[in-house]
Amino acid sequence: MSADALDQAFRDASARITGALAARYRDLDLAEDAFAEACVRAAQVWPAEGAPADHAAWLYRAAQRCALDILRRRRTRERLQPEPPPLEPTAEDMMADDANLIPDERLRLIFVCCHPAVAADARAALTLRLICGLSVAEIARAFLVAEPTMAQRLVRAKRKIGDAGVPFEIPQPEFWPERLDAVLSTIEIAYAKAHEDAAGLGTHASYANDMLALTRVLAELLPREPDVLALAAMIRFAEARRPARLDEHGAMVPLSQQDPVRWRRPLIEEGERYLQRAANEGGDSSRVLHAAIHSVWCARRSLNDPAPWKTVLHLYDALLSVRDDSIVRLNRAVALAEVRGVAEALADVAAIDGDALVTFLPYHAVRADLLRRNGQMEAASSAYRVALALNPGPAERLWLERQAASLQH
Amino acid sequence: MHYAFLIYEDEAFYGPNKSGPAMQEIVAKHMVFARELGARRIGGAGLKESSSATTLRRTQGKTTVHDGPFAEAKEQLGGFYIIDATDLDAAIALAKKIPVSQDGSIEIRPLLGGDVG
Repeated sequence: MSADALDQAFRDASARITGALAARYRDLDLAEDAFAEACVRAAQVWPAEGAPADHAAWLYRAAQRCALDILRRRRTRERLQPEPPPLEPTAEDMMADDANLIPDERLRLIFVCCHPAVAADARAALTLRLICGLSVAEIARAFLVAEPTMAQRLVRAKRKIGDAGVPFEIPQPEFWPERLDAVLSTIEIAYAKAHEDAAGLGTHASYANDMLALTRVLAELLPREPDVLALAAMIRFAEARRPARLDEHGAMVPLSQQDPVRWRRPLIEEGERYLQRAANEGGDSSRVLHAAIHSVWCARRSLNDPAPWKTVLHLYDALLSVRDDSIVRLNRAVALAEVRGVAEALADVAAIDGDALVTFLPYHAVRADLLRRNGQMEAASSAYRVALALNPGPAERLWLERQAASLQH
Repeated sequence: MHYAFLIYEDEAFYGPNKSGPAMQEIVAKHMVFARELGARRIGGAGLKESSSATTLRRTQGKTTVHDGPFAEAKEQLGGFYIIDATDLDAAIALAKKIPVSQDGSIEIRPLLGGDVG
């Protein structure tokens, strides 16, 4: 077995095994350590003796033994009196065939990782670590922080979960909307990291795939939650467009100018199926409407098809009625400019509370573009300067610089 | 597990010496809440206003006594509960029912060792 194949097997098994162990022992560290030890054993045994038929079942049995070893070592270290012996594998476990061996506790694990009592900047990282099996180094790269910083953040988060008594349970109905929202926001934040990197090179390529996998798992576990399905759809639509997001110079290509021929159709179709299911469940939340806007764009087959601005504007109107905030208003203004003219869009943008968006790059980029098209070159030029000062990524920077330069002519 | 609920509110709302009508109103609500807690309530009390506080400070082995609370803030510690709950979610569900008159915060802290002597 190659190192890559081993790594893949470990990653595939990670969430189920860590979840099952954590549910049993109510201890994330123990679950993680036991799984890591099991992987070390597998890396020694499998290449020499051949890999087992069911990788996950082998790893789970090994991880259970490792968990018991760790518990015994802890007891010895803490010199505790002989206690009720740690939970041995139950008769049920011994009897279970491989296919039914590992209880699926991933959903509980996701809710633990995304509990609002966990620091917001640690939730996404913890989810990627425990559900997607990403290494600390990979997560650190995705979040652009040093590895020791990320390791610290994860340790603190796990300690908080243990100390504060965060339950290892699916939330009660009274908490459900709030807690599910925390889970979905966490995934949105994590995905935004992958999406920022338009080129999707290196670490971000596989990271984006992890986000696809994570939303697939969540949709499997919660098949009737419109927001879950809508988020799975939205991430697919956004990922489908990745091959068309940069031009040959590496500059960003705005959505309406992307060549739909380069979009990944299979992902779009998958997204459509999720969105349809969300609609069938009666979803009309802001997440469902957001996914619908993506869907309308992705229905375009070539640059010769008219851009769907009118439908997009209708959807933004609907979105505004469920979620009236500055960012929705800003995005709506972009569509408004196409349908009803730049002047009207500018008036709308002027009415948005600019103070709240001072450091929000898209606000300045949209304003600059509208001012330019309205012939207000001086104002446009200063808006571009503000946008460029806000540290855009390389692709967006190139595009903004090009737009700003076009003002000179 | 045992948790402390530390209640922070702007005490000015309750009038001088916390003796205004708003105080009587909130005390009545706390009595209802305490009844609802029943056996889950291990302890707790309302606190006199923060100007009545005296702070003992120990710095490098030297102890000094100061007038006033440990930290000045817009919202002051005004009372606390010690409760028994199975986990954080159960504690949060209880804490959500704590009466507060205006804006305020409730800090939920597990007790060390999870137990009171």
